[in-house]
Amino acid sequence: MKKKLAAVLSAVVVIALLAGCSGGGNSEAAKEKSGGADSAKNVKLQFFTGKVETIDLMNELIAKFHEENPNIEVEQEYQKDASNVFKVKLASGDVPDITTVVTQEYVDQGKYLDLSGEAYWSRVLPAIKDLTTDVKSGKQFKVATNVSMGGIFYNKALFEELGLKPAATWEEFVDQLQTIQEKKPDVVPLFIAGKESWTLGQLIEFVGHGPVKQQLGVIPAKKAFINNDSAQLKFDEQGGAMDTFARRLLELRDKKLVNSDLVTATYDNQKQAFVDGKAALIIQGMWVMGDLFKMKPEFTDNIGFTVIPSVVDGLKPTVLSAEDSAYAITAESKHPEEAKKFLDFLLRPENLKIYSETLKSPAAFTDVDADWGPLKDQAAEALRQGANIAFTDWPSGFSGDDAGRMVQELMVGKYDNSHDFAVDFKKAWDKAWDANNR
Amino acid sequence: MALLRKFNNHLHQYMAIPAIVLFGFFFIYPLIRGVGISLTDSNGITPANFVGLQNFIDFFRDDRAMHDMMTTLWFAIGSAPLLNLFGFLYALLLDQKMAGKGFVRAIVYLPAVISPLIMGYIWYFILQPERGFLYHLGQNLKLEFLQGNWLGSSTSAMVLLIIVNVWQFVGMTMIIYLAGLQSIPAELYEAGRIDGAGGWKTLWNVTIPMLYPSIKINVVTNIIGSLSVFDIIVALTDGGPGYSTESLSLYIMRMQYGSFTGYSTAVALILFLIIIIPVFLFLRLTRNKEVEM
Repeated sequence: MKKKLAAVLSAVVVIALLAGCSGGGNSEAAKEKSGGADSAKNVKLQFFTGKVETIDLMNELIAKFHEENPNIEVEQEYQKDASNVFKVKLASGDVPDITTVVTQEYVDQGKYLDLSGEAYWSRVLPAIKDLTTDVKSGKQFKVATNVSMGGIFYNKALFEELGLKPAATWEEFVDQLQTIQEKKPDVVPLFIAGKESWTLGQLIEFVGHGPVKQQLGVIPAKKAFINNDSAQLKFDEQGGAMDTFARRLLELRDKKLVNSDLVTATYDNQKQAFVDGKAALIIQGMWVMGDLFKMKPEFTDNIGFTVIPSVVDGLKPTVLSAEDSAYAITAESKHPEEAKKFLDFLLRPENLKIYSETLKSPAAFTDVDADWGPLKDQAAEALRQGANIAFTDWPSGFSGDDAGRMVQELMVGKYDNSHDFAVDFKKAWDKAWDANNR
Repeated sequence: MALLRKFNNHLHQYMAIPAIVLFGFFFIYPLIRGVGISLTDSNGITPANFVGLQNFIDFFRDDRAMHDMMTTLWFAIGSAPLLNLFGFLYALLLDQKMAGKGFVRAIVYLPAVISPLIMGYIWYFILQPERGFLYHLGQNLKLEFLQGNWLGSSTSAMVLLIIVNVWQFVGMTMIIYLAGLQSIPAELYEAGRIDGAGGWKTLWNVTIPMLYPSIKINVVTNIIGSLSVFDIIVALTDGGPGYSTESLSLYIMRMQYGSFTGYSTAVALILFLIIIIPVFLFLRLTRNKEVEM
């Protein structure tokens, strides 16, 4: 009797296993059928994002959208490692409908819906429309709602006290840091959060790649990166931008103008030091403002924003101004019409205004007048003063993070000289680019 | 009826079928496909080309890969013996009659139930140079050596990783040794005492031989665990500074995310071999050493 019971039980287990594996598939198919057949029936959209700062805000907007469209339910999924999780999702067939993850390799693979013909492009700032245009096809596969900016944030009160003004050349910049070091020995002149390689990758994007971006112009530079135009990029040039960047960074370290625990300081340490007045300058993106405000609201009035001097002499200082908060609809989405509806909703002027003011970031649309933050005027001034550059289009396989790790190695003395760093950088870039462009 | 009888007789074999199906589906099948992928230059997106053993050749030619392999081996050489030694000592200690030994065992074991990722972050708070707890303690107590830049240099970072890893998992090793110790019949100790064996001789001639099953389990588990280490490295140093504490498992993940799918699968297979070979050798060597009761 026991054996018979055992036999029955194991048969049940096997059947359950088989049912479990295939049953999931069947119910999915059934849902899809009912979803497609009657569009008035409930549609579920998957919104996949890597932006942690906007989770709550998006949930609010989603709730608002659902009130207007009770038959459409939008589910937000946030992943910290979004671009990598997106790869896994695509590979397993679990494709989201709308996503913030847009990479060149997937554009080339036709993974996104062509949004070029949409009505809203006439309302988008021309510079941002250019940045969201795919350089290879000339079409738009993503739409950006905001402008991201990057530059130098400084402690205004400290500058006033020491009679300092924002620097226009690297020499002036180093002098400034040295003055701070002399007059205020317990304040770190320039605080770099080196433990998190993405911040070092950003240093390369803002400062190391600044010269080539400035000299070529925003869109030609983008093309040069995407097509790995070595003649224009000149990564391993002796005395070129990357070499000089590495050399100047080492100088800052040797003169102790940066925090001595550069390689182990975290992003949180950087923000905290800044709001506590223990760090005079940081190089960051505008996204840091939200956190700084949360940490010490009263400090926000004391924050100055300005351009980054060029490491290569003779060039203008730069300020990064590029697209932020971009959305794309996947080509494999089963509900493109509803996805477009949701996108249209997000792009309404009143919703863009709410988004800008919450994120404290300027909108990329001409019909949005948002009071996005205390640095509004300083940002406009920086755009006037400096050369406008955008983010770097890293090849898949050599990301900003990977480059950041190389900078860590530079800072702990792995390279005998700055030119070796530049050569290694080019090698790593080429290897990754070649692997995906054969 | 004869059929039913036949079925009953072989029932124990049929009961294994669900497990075999699962094993095949989740292990054998991916392994075979993995071998297939490792022979291509796949990047997970565009169609792949067959490249034979090129990925494996590239691995042995790449500086970073070789360095990571050495890092992983050093970590295992540091971790595995210490885990066994301390686990064994703890087990010996906590097998004695003493008040509160259950409590102490629990305390020693507790870190093992915490996710290694969390453990790494907690230890980072303690060990961070210039900002961590240990640094402030060193400042207050005027102890220079506590104020060192432990995580900023590769050798000391590696030592710290080994220490944290051993501290976290020594409880698991201890538990297995404890179970082994408790299964040693008391008569053997008596016999030893009668023959005039002192502490050390008892340990060497009675305890350890009887513990061979536990030793085998622990050594094998620790070798596998140390060679495939991942979480603690990500949390404490993120493979840093630079790539100095990057382990092979971390390298595989980063290569995969860098779209070097074929290559990373090949490295994963190599790691599999690196783990299997010592385990196999060890089991072979100690095959005849178990004492039959």
